[in-house]
Amino acid sequence: MKNKLTKEEVLHVADLARIKVTEEEIEKYQVELKKLLDDVEKVNDVVGYDDEILIAPWDHNADLRNDSDTRMLEAKEILKNAPNHTGNYITVPVVIGESEGA
Amino acid sequence: MKYLEKSIKEINDLLKKGTIKPIDLVEEAFERIEADKDLNAYITLNKEEALKQAKELETKEVNNLLFGIPIAIKDNILTKDLRTTAASHILDNFIPIYDATVVEKIKAHNMIIVGKTNMDEFAMGSSSRTSYFGAPKNPWNNNKISGGSSGGSATTIAARHVPFALGSDTGGSIRQPASYTGIVGMKPTYGRVSRYGVIAFASSLDQLGPMTQNVLNNALLLNVISGHDPRDMTSSHREVEDYTRLIGKDIKGKKIAVPKFLMSDIVDSEIIKTIEGVIEVLKENGATVDYIDMKYLDNAVTLYQIIAMGEASSNLARFDGIRYGLSHKDPKSHEDLYLETRREGFGKEVKRRIMVGSYLLSGDNAKTYYNKALSIRDDMAKEFDKVFKKYDYVIGPTTTTTAYNLDDPMDDPSKSFMDDVLVIPVNMAGLPGLGIPVGFDKNHMPIGMHIIGNKFEEAEMYRLGSFIEDKLNLDLNPKGGE
Amino acid sequence: MSKYIPTIGIEVHVELKTNTKIFSPSINGYGQMANSLTNEIDLGYPGTLPTLNEEVINLGIKAATILNCKIRKQMFFDRKNYFYPDNPKNYQITQNRTPIGYDGYVEIDDNGVKKKIYIEEMHIEEDTCKSTHRKDKTLLDFNRAGVPLIEIVTKPCMTTSTEAKLYLEKLKELLFYADVSDCKMEEGSMRADANVSIRKNESDPFGTKAEIKNIGSISNVGLSIEKEIERQAKLYDEGKTFKEQTRRFDSKLNDTVLMRVKETGNDYRYFPEPDIPFVVITDEMIENVKKTIPMLPDERRETYKKLGVSDINTTKLVQNRSLSDYFNELLAEKTNFQIASNLLLGDISAYLNMHEKLIADTTLTKERFLDLIKLMEDKTLTSKNLKDILDDVLESKKSITEIMKDKGIENITDDKEIREVIKKIITENPDSVNDYKNGHDRAIKFLMGQVMKETKGKVNPQVAMEILTDELH
Repeated sequence: MKNKLTKEEVLHVADLARIKVTEEEIEKYQVELKKLLDDVEKVNDVVGYDDEILIAPWDHNADLRNDSDTRMLEAKEILKNAPNHTGNYITVPVVIGESEGA
Repeated sequence: MKYLEKSIKEINDLLKKGTIKPIDLVEEAFERIEADKDLNAYITLNKEEALKQAKELETKEVNNLLFGIPIAIKDNILTKDLRTTAASHILDNFIPIYDATVVEKIKAHNMIIVGKTNMDEFAMGSSSRTSYFGAPKNPWNNNKISGGSSGGSATTIAARHVPFALGSDTGGSIRQPASYTGIVGMKPTYGRVSRYGVIAFASSLDQLGPMTQNVLNNALLLNVISGHDPRDMTSSHREVEDYTRLIGKDIKGKKIAVPKFLMSDIVDSEIIKTIEGVIEVLKENGATVDYIDMKYLDNAVTLYQIIAMGEASSNLARFDGIRYGLSHKDPKSHEDLYLETRREGFGKEVKRRIMVGSYLLSGDNAKTYYNKALSIRDDMAKEFDKVFKKYDYVIGPTTTTTAYNLDDPMDDPSKSFMDDVLVIPVNMAGLPGLGIPVGFDKNHMPIGMHIIGNKFEEAEMYRLGSFIEDKLNLDLNPKGGE
Repeated sequence: MSKYIPTIGIEVHVELKTNTKIFSPSINGYGQMANSLTNEIDLGYPGTLPTLNEEVINLGIKAATILNCKIRKQMFFDRKNYFYPDNPKNYQITQNRTPIGYDGYVEIDDNGVKKKIYIEEMHIEEDTCKSTHRKDKTLLDFNRAGVPLIEIVTKPCMTTSTEAKLYLEKLKELLFYADVSDCKMEEGSMRADANVSIRKNESDPFGTKAEIKNIGSISNVGLSIEKEIERQAKLYDEGKTFKEQTRRFDSKLNDTVLMRVKETGNDYRYFPEPDIPFVVITDEMIENVKKTIPMLPDERRETYKKLGVSDINTTKLVQNRSLSDYFNELLAEKTNFQIASNLLLGDISAYLNMHEKLIADTTLTKERFLDLIKLMEDKTLTSKNLKDILDDVLESKKSITEIMKDKGIENITDDKEIREVIKKIITENPDSVNDYKNGHDRAIKFLMGQVMKETKGKVNPQVAMEILTDELH
């Protein structure tokens, strides 16, 4: 087993996480991330468990919220922490393209 | 002024009689905090507001036991109009626009928030050294860590600044620092305390809990913060009982299990010996103690790494420089805004965990790692169910060592996980875990014991905790009870 | 062209008609001031948690029911992780593994040929915020963030643009009628994506597909599918291939335009949402929802036809849901349904359109409407009369006969009485009678005029004409 990730692998995970990494950092991450990935590899050594999953230790099923109750904040509250805003809008200081999602 | 050394009941009586006012308590708390500035227990102090609030309380009736009592809040719990940073550069200017549910409850009880305590960045770490604001110091030895992630809360409680603090525990972050600093820390059953307004690290593991100097105070604070919250779908409907109700009761006939893994050679022998001493006391007082085998305990850290890092990578995606928090100036594109803001804003440990977490969920890895972890987690929880059919408590040491040095190396990314090896299974299964001090090592650093209860059996755990507390009668003031 | 078989699948997002958002108690509204319908949850603030809106589950059950889907009894949500400025948490809460509905179908009628369009699955999710692009920045409005959506995904089972259009029309009609959604494509409350591929033979594997995103109208869905089939066919004809890609329809160019080529498939890093416990749907919940489902369009059309309503009136009525709902209230009554439909679609519709009112806003109660139909049917009231009194019929609470009296419309409906008058006129006008018998048609018009004069216009002309003709023979 190799003891570090390739540079490309580091760049790939950094991209997934949307974190810019410097050349110097890449070298460190090659080793550090590999160490963590080796740790989690141990999950494949565990045997004897069944297929059922535990997503979270919920003690009850979902309660549903009544659609008639409303609670909102004023726009000025909403804008308070926004680094960039114009009028009532929060802004992204560059023009973005088409959405990926939904 | 030494009012804060008194019991809550005594303080309450003095307040009721008008002998003292809340402002006396607040001023005393700040004197103590300011005298211990070096401990770096707080990220943000709330002095002005606390004094103002104390003044306002003078016209109000002393309507509950915790009225007017100072409390410290971990800095990943949102406090309206009071800076909340999660010890991260990315939030170091963040002023919440709402209160966490627990903060609402604390305010409704007229407790006085003195400040926001230091912690590992986004609660990721076991020594509070990943804090953007520098690590808090252990009051027992200022060269040692206070543990983490709730290191600041542990520090301020151990140093006797205030009687109450809130911590959060995702994989030991209340109990482990409690153990390192000689205080009492409870991670309640998952769903016992609302998570609304707590900056999520790993949503299926996170839980808030009280950190205090003794078991009684711990139960008193749990009484305040527990209960169903319609804003948190995972919060339980179980009625809140009086968690102090079994304190002082005996433990005759109680069945206690000690999983052999928790007493194996991964734990320092000094700690094992101390725990064995406690076990003898328990036996002498009518409890039965069995050493048992439990499956999956040794897998808990691996599961934790997968689940906690996976969830964290998603929970921390929202810090992007658009709606709040740090924002990279003059980005070239929105992608550039993300990349640069998150590079500037997150520290090393957080970055590592987000990157690994993203990787573990990507493509086929979700199947290879994440789903597998959830499956094993289910079996681990069932294993605990089996044990609790026969036993009232599961006990063991809280940590494998006592607090280590602040300047110990931080280059092993696995180290912070391994520090919590004994306490992580509790979070996996959603069980309550109580950490109490049970002795000291040769350097007079505190040793902690971990009591695991069945779900929603916090009152029973306080029974055992208070019993041990009473029997051992340790001097837990690091300043030697001046 | 015809040497290729197209394969088409459609994905539709509809915004649900709820009062509040799916995971937060802020109002689900359109066209309000930016960021005025939000709270900390919609903004994805640190520490916020979702709470699931009951009405969303009800509407999900409703949609699943009318789309003939199976309903999942226990489900959870998933997080779909992707970074985008319109995605406040940078993950969207959706259902990936346990969609609320699956294995359904919608039946379309393609020129008399019925065909089932199969629905693979339908799931509940949250909408993103709305972004408006300016030349130097992008404006974000979070009013839309967290609006509940249902995404409905068909199997790749359509082969023509017509089928796709018919499917969408049918889907829109159903969801609108069941009050699941407004289905306004122009306001974005219904959005459609089309997946298009072509292949030579039925036995070939599916060709490379292109997804055309966010098409703004049903007709443009049809158009973009045709254009896309053409484009792909041309490439294959030239011996070229292409990569799986996302395109959009440019209504100015009247063609599809490349947005991006899918490199390795999107990596959304789905995992189960830990903040929302299992949602359990009970039989009781399903039954309760079923009770709220009104008569659906197909059944309405069938019923109306059976009651003797003309095909054209049937179609028109079902196109206007409020009139159709009103009409449905008559179904248990004994009345003339053709006249009822004529009235609703004729003068009453004209009035409603002119005054921008709904039928429910008028004073025309069921009882008064039944009276009106009866008066029209027995010809006490003429179409001309109706035009004179229509405003009163729809605006006052007086009985129809009272209104007629006030306007001096007192038609003689008794045949005997009319016959007496006519006999008198015939006796008084022997010349005209002769003229008529000698084949002068105009003479009968004169005689009718005399009848109307004698009765001061209070006889129904049709009835009078019938009797007059009878008496002349």
